[in-house]
Amino acid sequence: MNTKSLIKAENIAYKINENKLFHNLSFSVSKGEALHISGPNGSGKSTLIRIILGITKQTKGAITHNESNNMSYLGHKNALKNYLTVSDNLILLGLNSHEKLNNFLEELALKKYLDVTVANLSFGQQKKLALLRIFLNESNVIVLDEPFVGLDTYTQNVVESFLIKEINLGKALIYTSHINCNIDSKILNLK
Amino acid sequence: MTTYYLEYLKLKKKLRSWLGPIIVFILIMVAYPLTVEFLEKDLEKGFYSLLWISILLSMMLSTEDIFLEDFNDGTLEQIIISTSSFPFMIAKKIFIYWIMIGLPISLLSFLFSLGITQDINLSLFVIFLAMISSYIFLNLFVFGSALSLNKGSVLGALITMPLALPVLIVLGKSIIAIQFGINYLELLLLLLGCLSIIISIVPFIVSYVIKAHLE
Repeated sequence: MNTKSLIKAENIAYKINENKLFHNLSFSVSKGEALHISGPNGSGKSTLIRIILGITKQTKGAITHNESNNMSYLGHKNALKNYLTVSDNLILLGLNSHEKLNNFLEELALKKYLDVTVANLSFGQQKKLALLRIFLNESNVIVLDEPFVGLDTYTQNVVESFLIKEINLGKALIYTSHINCNIDSKILNLK
Repeated sequence: MTTYYLEYLKLKKKLRSWLGPIIVFILIMVAYPLTVEFLEKDLEKGFYSLLWISILLSMMLSTEDIFLEDFNDGTLEQIIISTSSFPFMIAKKIFIYWIMIGLPISLLSFLFSLGITQDINLSLFVIFLAMISSYIFLNLFVFGSALSLNKGSVLGALITMPLALPVLIVLGKSIIAIQFGINYLELLLLLLGCLSIIISIVPFIVSYVIKAHLE
């Protein structure tokens, strides 16, 4: 594997029962690169993301991770506890004492909701809270499945700027999105 | 230590999950003397059988949704991605559940045993038996809960219940042994042996089962 390459997939295939979701997919993601996985609903974007993360096993092919890989992920599920407050969730995420936490809380307009139970936040606010995991994590590969769903234009711009900055710092980004964004990416189209 | 604290924090906020099984246990223990004649001899007769079954039932209730919430909200996926030792995380989770539910029930067993039998030596012995058995039952039902993660917890409990029967038999024999002054150490060691095997195997099996569910 190329030393710069963080993730390399060779001839990946996945089928459910006898239905081929995708086959012979090959791609690689290096430091400072973004990969946009696109395609219509049901084409296997989320499944491919889960294969990259190692949650789901591919039917065929191999996926190689660089030894130094440390991935952070946000998918359709926010992994937040609805019955806990925002502060308690930040403790659970291990982010409560992060030095940059206050900046991001202000930027995402979440600071005044610290004592509010997550169940009482709107969908977009919950998404923003979940995004803090990505913003404050020291990973070198960021994996996002539809990160802009539920976000207002301002927050989408904040997320985009953050991701572009992280890519410029040498991190790799793999994401799916049906919403147009300004991240310069390689495109992997699943038909 | 952080993982233990985080699991504690989650469980502490879910009153139904940890207080529910303890209250059920207390209710059964309180209801028992009301259902038989108020003669000390009669009370003692069936008390320990009921005690073990109550512990079994409480442990079954406590594991009802042990993984369901983390499964539904995506926490399990995050744990698998971020940690290389998923079985160890599961072992920690089981331990916290035992501390919050199994240990109080074991201590309450002492009080109820003392109240019914007025025998302090036997009651002290009951604490150890209750601690060991509650941990064994908890592990077994956690396995059941993982098996039926998205199919309802009753199915898992039904599958794992037969595995608890040998433990119930040994518990019954242990009480008889101590009541008749027979050497009970072997039985205690047998339970400890079962516990050590279960503690070391269950987290690995459960992690495998959960990963299969997530796949």
